[in-house]
Amino acid sequence: MTSRPELRQQYDIIGSFQPALHVPQNWNYETPGPMFRAYMHPPHDVGGQRDVPVHYEEKEEEQWELNTYVTCEVLGWRGIWTAEERRRRADNDLGYTLYLGLPYYGRWIWSAARMLVDKKHISLTELLEKIAEVKSRYEKK
Amino acid sequence: MKKNETPDVPARFKVGDRVQVRDMPNMFYTRTQNYVRGVTGTIASCTYKDLIPEDEAFDYDGRPEQYYIVRFRQKDLWEEYPFDNDTLQTEFPDHWLEPVGN
Repeated sequence: MTSRPELRQQYDIIGSFQPALHVPQNWNYETPGPMFRAYMHPPHDVGGQRDVPVHYEEKEEEQWELNTYVTCEVLGWRGIWTAEERRRRADNDLGYTLYLGLPYYGRWIWSAARMLVDKKHISLTELLEKIAEVKSRYEKK
Repeated sequence: MKKNETPDVPARFKVGDRVQVRDMPNMFYTRTQNYVRGVTGTIASCTYKDLIPEDEAFDYDGRPEQYYIVRFRQKDLWEEYPFDNDTLQTEFPDHWLEPVGN
């Protein structure tokens, strides 16, 4: 179980996710063009934008990242989703907060799980029960 | 998945043609970058025929279109870009491009 201090910490982090521009938007038909275009811009189209400084390092993929990659490829081979659906889900349907917050393969596995539930290959309850089961198996080790 | 019963769209452009990228609305998904919209470039290569990204993204097969690699001058994309001869190449399906008075 999440301890109360851990829960408070989690809520503090969520608090910092608030959009930078946090004012009620009452848009009429004369919606300001630049504002509208900015909100409709797909997050994966990053070319030409400013970014935070990135520290590059030589690093192998983590095991979960390799597993995620293989899982997503297999879902493609089995015809469960197309390459473009994967790009759409993993990059754009997340929205900026998740897109900028999750690691690269975090976006992929989030998207794969969401797609499997959306397309009714598994129910969310089945998925949650499975994750809980696996988690408790690891905790016993 | 929709069965693909429609014929391919024939290629409208050839290498060397001047083309302008259409400024279509952004909604949900695209692979056409914002910074090339309305900019004129040159067809560098005709690549292959494939499904339209915006449709494949929602599992529609639709009509396969010709894809092209278009070459832009960096200075046409970013006016403050310092080098005259540098170019940038990126790829589009046919319907994203319009002919420019050839």
